[in-house]
Formats: sequence, C-alpha cells, structure tokens
Amino acid sequence: MIKGPVLTIENLRTYFYSKSKQAFIRSVDGVNLEIDKGKTLGIVGESGSGKSITAMSVMGLISAPPGVIIGKIRLSTESIQKNLLQGLKDYVRINMSTGRIMEIYKDNVGWQKNIDRIMYKIRGREISMIFQNPKISMNPFITIGSQITESIMLNTTIKNRSKAKERALYWLEQVKIDSPRLRYNNNPHGLSGGMCQRAMIAMALSSEPSLLIADEPTTGLDATIQSKIVNLLAELKSTVGVTTMLISHDINVIRELSDQVAVMYGGTVLEHGPAKDVLSAGYEYKHPYTAALLASIPNEQHIREKGYLQAIKGDVLDTINIPGGCRFHDRCEMITNKIKERCENHEPDLKDISANHKVRCWLYYDS
Amino acid sequence: MKRYSQYSVEVSDFSDVPFWKKASFMDLVYVSYGIFIVILVIGSYIVGAFDLLPYDPHEINLELLMAPPQSSGHFLGTDFMGRDILSRLIIGIQAYFLPGLLAIAIAIILGTCFGVLAGYWGSGFDTIITYINNLLNSFPRLVLILLMVAAFKPDIYYIMVIVGITNVPVVASLIKGKIQFLKQKYFIEAATALGLKNRVIIFKHILWHNCRSILIIQATLGMAEAILMETSLSYLGFGVQEPTPSWGNMVQAGANYLMQGKFWPSTAPALAILFTIMGFHLLGDGLNNMLERRRNK
Amino acid sequence: MAKTILEVENLKKYYIQPGGIFTPFKGAKRIIPAVDDVSFYIKENETMGLVGETGCGKTTIGRTLLKLTPVTAGRIIFDEKDITQLTPHEFLPFRRQVQMIFQDLDAALNPKMRIRSILKEALTVHHRLSDAEINREIGELLEKVNLKKSKLSNFPGELSGGEKRRVGIARALAVGARFLVADEPTSALDVSIQAQVVNLLKDLQKNLGLSYLFISHDLRIVELISHKVAVMYLGQIVEMGMAGRIAHEPRHPYTSILWSSLVEKKSRETTKVSTDSKKGTWGVFDFERPHTGCRFAPRCPVYEAKGKPSICNEPSKAPQLQDIGDAHKVRCHFPL
Repeated sequence: MIKGPVLTIENLRTYFYSKSKQAFIRSVDGVNLEIDKGKTLGIVGESGSGKSITAMSVMGLISAPPGVIIGKIRLSTESIQKNLLQGLKDYVRINMSTGRIMEIYKDNVGWQKNIDRIMYKIRGREISMIFQNPKISMNPFITIGSQITESIMLNTTIKNRSKAKERALYWLEQVKIDSPRLRYNNNPHGLSGGMCQRAMIAMALSSEPSLLIADEPTTGLDATIQSKIVNLLAELKSTVGVTTMLISHDINVIRELSDQVAVMYGGTVLEHGPAKDVLSAGYEYKHPYTAALLASIPNEQHIREKGYLQAIKGDVLDTINIPGGCRFHDRCEMITNKIKERCENHEPDLKDISANHKVRCWLYYDS
Repeated sequence: MKRYSQYSVEVSDFSDVPFWKKASFMDLVYVSYGIFIVILVIGSYIVGAFDLLPYDPHEINLELLMAPPQSSGHFLGTDFMGRDILSRLIIGIQAYFLPGLLAIAIAIILGTCFGVLAGYWGSGFDTIITYINNLLNSFPRLVLILLMVAAFKPDIYYIMVIVGITNVPVVASLIKGKIQFLKQKYFIEAATALGLKNRVIIFKHILWHNCRSILIIQATLGMAEAILMETSLSYLGFGVQEPTPSWGNMVQAGANYLMQGKFWPSTAPALAILFTIMGFHLLGDGLNNMLERRRNK
Repeated sequence: MAKTILEVENLKKYYIQPGGIFTPFKGAKRIIPAVDDVSFYIKENETMGLVGETGCGKTTIGRTLLKLTPVTAGRIIFDEKDITQLTPHEFLPFRRQVQMIFQDLDAALNPKMRIRSILKEALTVHHRLSDAEINREIGELLEKVNLKKSKLSNFPGELSGGEKRRVGIARALAVGARFLVADEPTSALDVSIQAQVVNLLKDLQKNLGLSYLFISHDLRIVELISHKVAVMYLGQIVEMGMAGRIAHEPRHPYTSILWSSLVEKKSRETTKVSTDSKKGTWGVFDFERPHTGCRFAPRCPVYEAKGKPSICNEPSKAPQLQDIGDAHKVRCHFPL
C-alpha cells in the first residue's frame, strides 16, 4: 500500500517559444499541486491560465520546440513510482540574466526520446485522459467498441479478445450508453456529442488508470447534455472511485465534482483548497481573484434585478510579459495601501491559511 | 542543441517592430539576392539604351573566332562568329524580360479572374475551371507551344502567351483555394453584412489584403519559368531566332563546340540562366516567408 | 409605448440536401427544415433572447434577418418594410440599421487589416467623411466600447478575446446600427471578460436605445439580459414569453428541462418534471425526420407520463403556439 498523494507536481514550469515575437510564453510558471488517492482535484482558470498545459505536461505531450519543462512531477501508484520528468534536464541548457530566461538550448530529438521512454508504460495505462472534443479525439474509421477493446487488451491484464469485448460492453454500460451492444458497432460520427463523450469516458476508464485527466469534459456540449455528463461523472466518482484531475473553466462543474480545487491564473496556482470552501461565496479567506471570479457569474440576484454583473477590470494576463509582483495586482480591487508596495514588487508564496488551504496573496501575510 | 533566444527588452507592442527585423536572416539574404538580380536586369536595359556595351553584340569579327576569355580585350571571349559574349550576355536578358512580363500578366490577371469566379461565386464556375485545368494538364505544354509555332511563327511573344495561358489554371486554383479558406472565417460574410459592395470585398479584402503574397510569388515563379521555357525551346531551335541574342540560343550555339574543349560560349549563358532563375525563385520564396510571417501573430 | 422595430411572420428556411449522385435511385432529395414557421416581434430598446440546443435553427434566424441567406417563405418586417422582397441594392439602407455580432471572435475582422482601418471602413461604408471626422468618430467609438486607443495600430491577431469582441461591437456601432443580432456574443470568452461584455451590451442599450436579438445557449445570461425569451426546438419556437416567467414558471416540458439542467441549480431545484436519464432517448434526435405531430414528443416526459396519448403523434394535430395570457405562448397539448 502506498502512502501520500498519487500525483505531486512541484514547481512545474512549461515554456513555449514564439518565433514571431522572439519571446518565451510562460504558459505554466511554477505550479505546485497534489492529488490524493480517490479524490478529485478541480483546476479552474480562464483561457491562457495554463491549466491544459499542466495536464499535457503530466501526460508528456509537450513536444512543440522548445516546450521546456522544468520541475518535478511525481507519480506514485501501486505499480510505478517515479518522477515523470526524470533526466530531461540533460537535454536542456538555460541561460538566465536578471532573473529572466534569455536563452534556451535544447536537444529536441533526445528530449522526445527520453519522454517516450519514461511515458511508455504510463500513458493510457497509469494515466488516461478525456479530451474536450471527443469526435476529434477518437479514430473516425474504427467503431467505438473495437477502440475500447483495443485499449483494454493493450493496457490491462485481459488479453483475450472476447473477454476484452465483454469488458468493453461492461464499461459502455457503466457510462449509461443505452443499448451498448448496438452502440458497440457505431463509428464515432454516428453518435451524438453527448454519446461520444460517454464513449470517450468509457475508453479512458477501461484501462483502469490510477489517474484520470479530464480536460474540459463538458465544454461545447448543450446545456441539457452537459448536466447529464456531470451527473454521470459524479456517479462514476462514487462507483469507480478513480483519482481525477478535472480541468474546466466552468466553476459550476468544478464545484459539483471536485473535492479539492486549484485556482490558476497566469500560469500559477493562486489558491488551493477544499472545493466547498474555495468556491463558496461566503467563505472569508480567499484570493481576491477567486472572489472576483465568483462574483462575475450571474447569480439569482443579478437576474432578478436585471442588474449589471461584477466584471473584473482589465484583461486576461499576457503570459509573455508577466508583470513583476503579484500576477493579479493590475486587476485586483482589494489592494490596500498597506500592502500595495509589496503587491507590485514581490510575488507572494502559497501560504497555508488553514489545514490544506493555501492562498497566494499578501493580504494574508500579517506583518 | 538548438538555440532559442528572446528579446532582452520587454516587447509590449509587436506591431511596432518593422517586418525586416522579424524576418529570418536567410530570408533577407534570399530577397536581397533576388532584388540584386532584378536590378541587373534593369541595368541591362540602361546599358543597352545608352550604348555603354563594350562591343556591338551584332558585330561579326571573323578574325577572332572563338577567342578564349580575357584575351584580346574580350572579357568573356567571343563566339563562333567572333561576336563579344559579354555584350550578347548583357543584351540577352532582354529577349526574356518583356515577353516574360507578358506571360506573367496573362497568368495573373486571367487566373485571378477565374479564381475569384470559382471561389466567390460558386460551384458552377468551380467545375468548369477544374475541367479546363485537367484539360490543360493532360496536354504537354511543349507540344502546345510547338503547335503554336508551327501555326504562326517562332516568335517569343506567341510562345509567352501560351506559357501565360497554361499558367492560368495554377493561379486560379490557388486563388480559389484561398478564397474558400477565407470564407470559412466569416469575415467576408461580416463585410457583406456591413453593406460593402462585392467589388470592394473582392479587391480590397480578398485580393489586396489576403492574396497579394500568393500573386507576388506566382509572378516571380512565372518569370523563372518563362526563362526556362525559352531556353528549352531555343535548344530545339524554336526560341528566339538568330541574330537576336538570347541566353537560350547562345547555349545552343555554344554547345556544338563543347566537345572541342571550347567551353566558354555555352558556359557563360548557362551560368547566367542558373543564377537568374535562382534569383527569381529565392525572391519569391523569401518574400513569401517575410510577408506571411509578418502578419501571422 | 415603444414602436415595433422588427416583426417576423411565419419565417421558413428549408435547406435542401441533394442526395448525391445516387439521387435518382434513392428518390426525393431530403429537405431539412432548419427554421419552420417562426413568428415573433421585437420592440425598440428591447432584448429578445433566443435559446435552444445546437442545431435548432437559432443562428439561421439571425442570418436571415441580415439577408445573409435567403428565406424560403415568410416575411421579415423591419421598420414597416418587408425586407425579404428587396433586392440587394434596395436593402443597402437597412444594412446601416441591422448589424450582427458574430459568434466567432475573429469573424468580423480581416486578419490582415489593422484595427484602425477596420473601423474606418465601417465608418465610411455608408457616409463620406473627412479624415478629421473619422478620427473623432473612432475616438468616440473606442470610448463607447471601452477600448484603449493604443490598440488601433494592432492587427486582430494581437488582441485578446475580449478586445476582439469589443472591436466587433464597435464595428457594428460605427455603421449606426439600431438593431443588433448578437449570435453567442459571450460563448467564446472567459468568465471575467464575459461579464464585461454583458455589461457593455446593457450599457449600450441604455445609452443608445439599441434593440437586440440575443442568441445564446447560456441560459443565465439570456435570462439576465433579455426582456423576453423564445425557446426553440428543432426549428420551431416552443415557448415564448417574458424572461422571468420562462425561467421560473415554464409551461412547456422542454423549457422546464432546459432550465433545470443548469448545473448550478441541479442540487436544489425541484422541477415539476423528472429528468431521469434512463428514460426516453435523450440526446438522440433526428433532425432530418422530425417526429410527426409534436416534434418534442419522443423526448417528452409528459408524453411518457400520460401514457403516450395519440394526439401528440397525430400529424394533422401538431400543436400550435397558443396564447395562455400575459404574452406567454406555448406550443404544447398539455402545458404544465
């Protein structure tokens, strides 16, 4: 039996290079996360906050040169315990000046080979992923049934095709696809969007992974279908109990499904804590960004009064020119004179406010 | 180890950076070389117009047949009739340049018209143009030109009209593809909704803003192709006729003496063809990279 | 009493799908009724929300209002004139008044034009202006939509999503539009930016007296911004009425399901209809062959609960939009 979190991400940095702008895009810039066994970690953030890139870094899918990853991603499951970024440092040399990365030398081929060597038995087997667009993510020419069967034969101990097929039907039933025996022979484009997402979930779960990454599983679906998928995921969480990293920009989905929540902004985690605390409007200790984000969603009162929404001023952070100091200070409305100087010049650390609730804000530093 | 480096200063507004600073070094080299070749071509006309040639290119000197380069005052030597090769080389480009421009003009103008018809107004034109394209593709271009020469006379302008016409489907399909791509982005629809006339949408939004790089590249490639086509025809004896000098008939005439070890009459024009074609190709390539990358992000 | 700015009567838009090269063997072409017999009106300074699932024909309605696609039948009366009969040239004056905010952020913006020339083009398309006037107008526009002046020299690709959306709105205003068709204006935006855009749209309506047709699948935003709401299902309006009543006292089973499916409300809302996922064939509907009679019947919980009454299946007795008081209309035999 293993102890501790299934996945630990320490100080993860993923940079991309923009050739036209001659600059590094700091998509993920110092992320610390932990996922406990059997729990769901929700990652909320706006576009460009680096939530999807974090997931892709974990899956080892960052290949566009020079998608440089620094930091530690520890996966510890019953069968495998290792750092997923082991040895990647050897293929990269970084020149810094005045705290900024100015030059990166990278051996792309060696880097890719090393990633493939590390991830060989992990992708699909230990970590599987649900993508945003199921129709694109599945092979359009192969029936969903045989795709799931293939996945089962490849990634689990079941090597017998007929047994694998039975298992695939079991998973199709688990995700509430009606008449699974008929749907087994459907191609992805023959299914509606919601059905296809269900099939995708079945495929991800069929390899019985230690960690499931769901990247925007409900985005782009109709409201009625969306709620069905959320219901399904909630139900699967209690029956199958797989450790999940759930990524979404929809706060309501995250609130419904996760135990822990990380709020990301501009490539870093601003707040990390229990979902019921972080995402409830009444909770006192939270990051100003989380508070503003919650307030900008239309609630009952806004709708009744036909009033204005509380918008966050300014624009989403440009991850090339990250300002010094707190990343949110340009848009923050809760800066007091006392901490103003610190907000503008120094970036705060994630500070423990209570047990397992951390906030990255100068408001919660006393002196 | 590949190197990636970033600006040392914070770049806040990328549109202020002039495009030649964003272009890669090699593209700059390509384009400069291409422009150099174009300047040489224009220079040839100036030299011809002001009579600055070292010798008269048509003057026959029977006492100095096949003089080697650097001898007796001829920098590149003389050919089998004793004419100065350098002078003929300088004048030779003039055999291509205006006819080449004609070929380009035909290809670009007709190609754009057909491309817009097919891409903007729909499937009927599209089908017709595909058929014409297939028809022209199934017919060897050289055979078409030889037929033309047989029917009329071996004039470079007639040949270039054919070269231009056979290039029309290429340009048309490029423009058509681009318009069909742009139509998916809805901004043509948005321009219609704004009340803009079709004429404005086609000329301003589609051709000027989004297709000009395609057209520039097709023009430069068209010039290179015109030169190549004339050369191969000259070699067959159907190109520019003696005594008018062209690089093609110079190569052809000089090739007879290669076996005797007299390489210069054919080598000089051959090299000129090589570098000129390379120049036009690189110009198109470099301009493409620079124009496209400038606007991409 | 506000004047009616737009009236749509029995609008129909059928797409005809040719059956490919085997048509002669397969028989008739397939006709897809994207919009089938839709009628509504919008008054000045009013917002009408249009909600429905993907493919229910909301966007098609928006496009027909701008004459971007021809209608099959029906009338669109804008300012007491039927615009479906006008030639493109006669329609030009109306282009100034009706504009569209496209769903795609990049849609309205030619990627190779700077923001200044995009706005300038919109300003000068119907008027002849001097340079000084153009500069003044652009300044005013930027103020209206709350955009920084430094962005004028940028290309659309260099702007963020919210800024692109603002340019799109500014462009519609530059023409002098009084009526905006907003096709999913917030769907591609982040939550914090979405609130800015919604506030901006509300502000513009207050200050300039605009009318909107607000097409969206985000029910909360529709409820917030609209005065009245029409719910569409498979090309037909199934329920129409004041926003609050549609959201809180829905009479059509489909509306009820739509609003109860909001993830946020799910845990506490008690709806009149049970939405058990095992029941019915959720998410499977055939647009090409709508159910005869009531189109919603195959998914309808009421139909199921009442023991599949034959009136719902009767092709000759398809339900009609009936007024049930207070400008609330429902297309159902058994309104809740």
